Amino acid sequence: MARLELSNLSKSYGSSQVLHDIDLVVADGELVVLVGPSGCGKSTLLRMICGLEDITEGEMRIDGERVNDLPPARRGIAMVFQSYALYPHMTVRANMAFGLKIHGADKAQRAARVLAAAKALHIDHLLDRRPRELSGGQRQRVAIGRAIVREPRLFLFDEPLSNLDAALRVKTRIELARLHRELAATMVYVTHDQVEAMTLGDRIVVMHEGRIQQAGTPLELYEHPANRFVASFIGSPTLNLVPATTQACSSAGARLEVHAGCVVDVAVDGASLLPGQAVEIGIRPEHLRVADGNMSAAGIRFGGEITLIEQLGESHLVYLRCADGLELVSRASGHTRLRVGDRIALEADPGTLHVFDARGAACVRRR
Amino acid sequence: MKQKAGWPALVFLAPALVIYTAFSAWPLLATLRLGLYGTDDVGHVSFVGLDNFRKLLFDEHWFGAFRNAMVDNVEFFAIHTLVQNPVALLLAALLSLRGVRGAAAYRTVLFLPTLLSVVIIGFTWQLILSPLWGVSEKLMTLVGLGEHFGPWLGQEETALRTIALISVWQFVGIPMMLIYAALIAIPEEVVEAAAVEGAGAWRIFWSIRLPLILPTLGLVNILTFVGNFNAFDLIYAVKGALAGPNFSTDLLGTLFYRTFFGYQSETGSATMGAALATLMFLVILSGVGLYFLVIQRRLQRIAS
Amino acid sequence: MSRHPIRASALGRSALVHLTLGGYCLLVLCPILLVLLNSFKSRAGIFDDPLGLPTTATLSLAGYGKVLGDAAVGHMFVNSAIVTGVSLAAILLLGAMAAWALTEYGFFGNRLLALFLAFGIMVPIRLGSVAILQEMVALDLVNTLTALVLVYIAQGLPLAVMILSEFVGQVPQELKDAARCDGVGEYRIFFQVVLPLIRPAVATVAVFTMVPIWNDLWFPLILAPSEQTQTITLGVQQFVGQFATDWNAVLAALSLAVLPILVLYAVFSRQLIRGITAGAVK
Repeated sequence: MARLELSNLSKSYGSSQVLHDIDLVVADGELVVLVGPSGCGKSTLLRMICGLEDITEGEMRIDGERVNDLPPARRGIAMVFQSYALYPHMTVRANMAFGLKIHGADKAQRAARVLAAAKALHIDHLLDRRPRELSGGQRQRVAIGRAIVREPRLFLFDEPLSNLDAALRVKTRIELARLHRELAATMVYVTHDQVEAMTLGDRIVVMHEGRIQQAGTPLELYEHPANRFVASFIGSPTLNLVPATTQACSSAGARLEVHAGCVVDVAVDGASLLPGQAVEIGIRPEHLRVADGNMSAAGIRFGGEITLIEQLGESHLVYLRCADGLELVSRASGHTRLRVGDRIALEADPGTLHVFDARGAACVRRR
Repeated sequence: MKQKAGWPALVFLAPALVIYTAFSAWPLLATLRLGLYGTDDVGHVSFVGLDNFRKLLFDEHWFGAFRNAMVDNVEFFAIHTLVQNPVALLLAALLSLRGVRGAAAYRTVLFLPTLLSVVIIGFTWQLILSPLWGVSEKLMTLVGLGEHFGPWLGQEETALRTIALISVWQFVGIPMMLIYAALIAIPEEVVEAAAVEGAGAWRIFWSIRLPLILPTLGLVNILTFVGNFNAFDLIYAVKGALAGPNFSTDLLGTLFYRTFFGYQSETGSATMGAALATLMFLVILSGVGLYFLVIQRRLQRIAS
Repeated sequence: MSRHPIRASALGRSALVHLTLGGYCLLVLCPILLVLLNSFKSRAGIFDDPLGLPTTATLSLAGYGKVLGDAAVGHMFVNSAIVTGVSLAAILLLGAMAAWALTEYGFFGNRLLALFLAFGIMVPIRLGSVAILQEMVALDLVNTLTALVLVYIAQGLPLAVMILSEFVGQVPQELKDAARCDGVGEYRIFFQVVLPLIRPAVATVAVFTMVPIWNDLWFPLILAPSEQTQTITLGVQQFVGQFATDWNAVLAALSLAVLPILVLYAVFSRQLIRGITAGAVK
């Protein structure tokens, strides 16, 4: 398996720059997920790693070897395309053997490896079929099989699950995780779905507008997002953002005034903040709960009218509109007896709050 | 999702059907039928069964002309298959490569001859190849091949081949476009996948692109076949209806024209012309039938 | 997007590619240019220096004078324009109507009729010329432009119907359903909903149909060879045959015949090629 290093990578098409200063290290055997909204540059980055796009600036190394100018085949990588890109005129067997044939493996070797991969993916009964006879899920396995068979140093996945229906997506996600463990392979995986990212990745790289916003483990991104974008991107529904003003700040904490009469102390590194500054407080819906009188006075509280309730079975969402127009979402498990129009209060512990300065950068939370 | 048919359906379909039947389908059938009739010396037409066909296939005079035209037509088709289609494939393949600067301009220029009238093309090339004007002789001398020049259009052995090459020059654009369209229809990711697996440009062409455009190549071949066995205009423009020198450029089309309209001393015979047209029809039909029944299906299976 | 997965020797390949394409382009353009250039020369210039540009000594418009002076040329152009224009319009309209009828409505023999029409693509209409001429004689249409128009419509319909059927079939069902729910009649639906939507197909069909009609030699020769009804293609052919040794005039005639096509092509080439590559592969 291999270690991938990207140093100061950038990409431009003519005068427009689409990737800026990408620095990333993927350790041997790691599964790193590149995630972000459409147009953030994740697919472009993947294609650059693959070798399908040129690198405008910067260096890329695989196992210490500089690969900027190597064609894809010589980088020791295999890619699973979003549309699977199977050769339509070849059988599954031929599809999987194609790459091996090019590299000179003899017939016996090819047959053995294809069969082994097919068995691992449960498609050995499909070896003589053509792609057009297969379902979407089956085609995807063939695409993965084609990649496995070449025993590459690095696996690349370009949104492999996006063409599958919801149920199949979950099932395949689990299979991919298993595959990763079994092969102990280094993988770079691109998706726009943050749930996929959170569940699959050893580490997640959130990208936006051509830059890496944050790279870290799923939990890190959840608990300690580096900026407002990452905090909003991870978690569904999106986290609530509440405007506030600083009163007193230090590296140990920040005192913020949320609205008249509501002041809260948040345990963040507020050294960079000045009193009287406008900031935003981020509260995840799952941390906002209906006031039940048990909260300490240190918490934050909002009163308002319920505008919408969504019952999902195992959880429910409560949408609240406050007097000053602020709209909040709260999530809790189980059902609720509340109804639209009820006047309630939502509260959150100060320990669960995030603080973002005017530029969107997060103040580091105490661990 | 078919709507129930009512009067509107009839109104929409009728005009096209009427004109097509009246001026294309029925005349063809009528011609086939007319081939079974004979005209005697005073112009009286009567049913003669397969007599015309007997003449065409066994009478020394008729069969000689028919065989000559047939052989010429086969050679005509062979040259197109061996020259036009591979050249079209090459040009289309080059045009479909990524990053060829000015591909659109090339495409535009290469398609130009197809639009020109056969008269223009025929005469232009006659001029160029004419030993009187000397243009081609001069050009060939420039490249050192001066001694190989000859009045090709005027020589029996070379006339047909020369006209066939002129025809290729004219029509390369159409198969080129068809093949080009088929090549660019191949999903980009499939080609990329092959590149990622290590396939070089050659292998991508042979193992990926070519198999996927086989149905189009088959279509191109059959269209060439039908076009060639129907060809008339270029020969007529360059050599006139007599298809000289000494009938060496005679194709089924020109023979048909002469038989129908007559030439010099021999009067035209609608019935013999009809019989000849029937034979041409059978030749074309068998070619097309063979293609669809045998080849096309196999090509589809390989390619999909 | 620039994609060069095979980067080594990409430059070298490029040179070879351009050499081949450019070389063939030269082969295409040279004959045409030769004719154009020499049409502006005097006889002496044509013979002594065929490959050179017209110099002040050799520049001559005598050929053009002779051709343009022949009043018939304008008339022939008009004939061609009428025949091609009317045929094209009819083919497009009737073809679209037939395509619509065959794809939208289910009735007995629907598929058979479609096959019947498709047959005409493979079998050349010329084979029926004997009977066509007899028909025209019977209808007293020999030496009329009408005869040509009728035959060309019959010739062009099969391919037009096939290409248009593809596009008509792609009209979204919701549009048709919505119109019908609103009580819009079938004729209205066709003319106001479907026809506007298949405009790109119409361009493709126009290309494939117009050029063979304009350039056709066979039917004008057989059905309408009289001076009154000569098309420009036939006319140039006769002219060239007549003045075979008057190189000046011949070259001028050829150039004049080429020019309108070159101009039209230069103007419409992009749509033309887009139309072909979009619709032709079926």
